[in-house]
Order: sequence, then C-alpha cells, then structure tokens
Amino acid sequence: MMADRFYPSHGTGAMNHIEIAENEDRIEIPVLAPHFSSHKFPWHQVFGYVFSMALTAIAFLLVINQMLPVASLVFVVIVLAVVQAAIQFGVFMHLRESRGMAWQMLVLGLGGFIALCVVAGSIWIMMFKSGVS
Amino acid sequence: MSQTLSKLAREQELPLEFADYHESIKITGFWIFLTTDLVLFSCLFATFAVMRYDYANGPTPLHLFHMTPLIVETALLLTSSFTCSLAIYQSRRQNKNGALSWLILTILLGMGFVGTEVHEFVSYVNSGATWHQSGFLSAFFTLVGTHGSHVTFGIFWALTLVAQLVQRGITPRTSRKLYTFALYWHFLDIVWVFIFSFVYLSNMTGGKMV
Repeated sequence: MMADRFYPSHGTGAMNHIEIAENEDRIEIPVLAPHFSSHKFPWHQVFGYVFSMALTAIAFLLVINQMLPVASLVFVVIVLAVVQAAIQFGVFMHLRESRGMAWQMLVLGLGGFIALCVVAGSIWIMMFKSGVS
Repeated sequence: MSQTLSKLAREQELPLEFADYHESIKITGFWIFLTTDLVLFSCLFATFAVMRYDYANGPTPLHLFHMTPLIVETALLLTSSFTCSLAIYQSRRQNKNGALSWLILTILLGMGFVGTEVHEFVSYVNSGATWHQSGFLSAFFTLVGTHGSHVTFGIFWALTLVAQLVQRGITPRTSRKLYTFALYWHFLDIVWVFIFSFVYLSNMTGGKMV
C-alpha cells in the first residue's frame, strides 16, 4: 500500500520512512510556502464578500451613471475586475493553502499568462483591422 | 531555504483534506484542471473580443442588455460564493450541519442564478436575437452559455455532496470533495466577474472602444 509509506509508525525501519516523508514536504521556494489561517469568526470570508460587493457596486454605478469618458470607463471596469479576481483567489480560494509547496500558484500563473496572451493579443491584433479592410 | 517540520506535528495542524496525503494530491490535481478551464474561458473571451462589433444588422448590446437581470445574477452568484466559503469554514470546524446548511444555501443561490440567466436567454431568443443572428451573438451565447452550463453542472455536483455529507459526515474524503467543489464554484464566480465587466458593462457604455 502506497499510504503506508507516509505513516512511518506502522512499519519497520521507521527512520528511513520519516526522512522520505519530510523530503516530500520540504519548502525549497519560499514564495510557494503554504499558508493557513483560522479564526473564531470567518473574518476573511466576510472581508472578501464586502470587498467584492463594493468593487462590483462601483463598477455598476460608474456605468449606469456614465461617470467617465467611454475609454477610461472600460479601463476602470476591467481594472476593478482584475482587483476583485485577485481578492477572490486569495481569500475565497485559499490560493496559498497546500501541503508542502503551493504548486498551484505556479500552475495558475502559467495559465494566467496564457490567458492574458490570448485575450490581450486578440484585442491588440484587431486594432489593425481598420488599417487593412 | 528548507523548512522541515515534524510530519506528525504538521498533520495535526493541517485541515482534514490536507492532512491526508492522497487527498491533498487530488486538490493539487484539481487546481491543474481549473487552470485548463481558465485557458478554455480565455479562448472564449478572445473570440468575443474579436466578434463583439459584428452585429450583422442584428441587435447591439445597447438594444439587448438590461441592468436588472444582470444585477440580480451578479448579486446571486457573488453571495453564493460567500456562502460556499462559509461551508468550508464550517467543515473545518467539524460542524457538519453548518457546512450542510451553507452548501444548500449555495445550491439555492446557484439555481436562482441559472434560472435568471435562462429567463434572460429566452427573452433574447424570443426577440429574434438567436446565436445564428450575428458574430456578436454567437460569441456571446457561447461564452456566457459555457459559464452557465458550468454553474448548472456545479449544482448537480453539490447535490451529490449534500448526500455524501449526510451519509458519511466530515471525513478526509468528503472534506476534500467539498474543498474542490468550493474551488470550482469560486472560480466560476471569478469568470462571472470578467463576464459582467468585459461582456456586459463594457458594452453598455454607449461608445465604441478599440
């Protein structure tokens, strides 16, 4: 059984097993160190919700009342969305929670980079459409 | 830098879903799935960005979109994300009934979201704005519809979790399943933030950008 390897007290030659288990959880990249938080009251969740609702309300009010010129309005709405996404990844999705290194941060960073290239690249290349059609 | 904690000491302070080695690997695997889903949505967003002014004499966003259903959908989904995070909070405190209540509330809010969205889509189709009409509408229905079908799938997934929590209580396995469901649900909420910002609000400003 695979699982026995990680429960050294159940087998013989326990010292070897402990060494293996500790290496599995070693933190070689400090940025990816895991982080957990626990409180008697879900402050993080409430903070995340209030912040999300506030950012969303600002975006809606800006558009409903047309409070800025169109170009800067779109820019501000997108920036608000990016800020809100960052807060939700950190607060609701516990991005830094992990056993051993939080590899998901690296994987998600790669995915985010691909997403940014695909979307921003498409928008950028379409700016030249009026030049050729 | 290398920090090595005693394995047993660490397992005692880890939440159930991480204390079990195999369950913790499944969580990392689920993050990798979510990343592929992120790339999928980015392709649909890019398609929408390219097609969003191709109205083909059909309706434009200003004709089509209304604030009321958009505000209702956004409020429902944001709140469901919050209640879902509270379900995880309660499962970490070994409070089965608390986790179940917040999960069921999450499901109800999700159903409200899907219901409002279906109603919105039906009203578009009834006014002649089908996805055959224009490039803008094809891209719109594909992007927002893919998100909506993800939410619908999430509702059925959550219903199976309710049954498992009732039967088995909070174990390393059920808490991991609840945790991955929460990751999925919050991720869909983040996708929705970009949908209401980039698809709806940005195109309801009355001007043309780029």
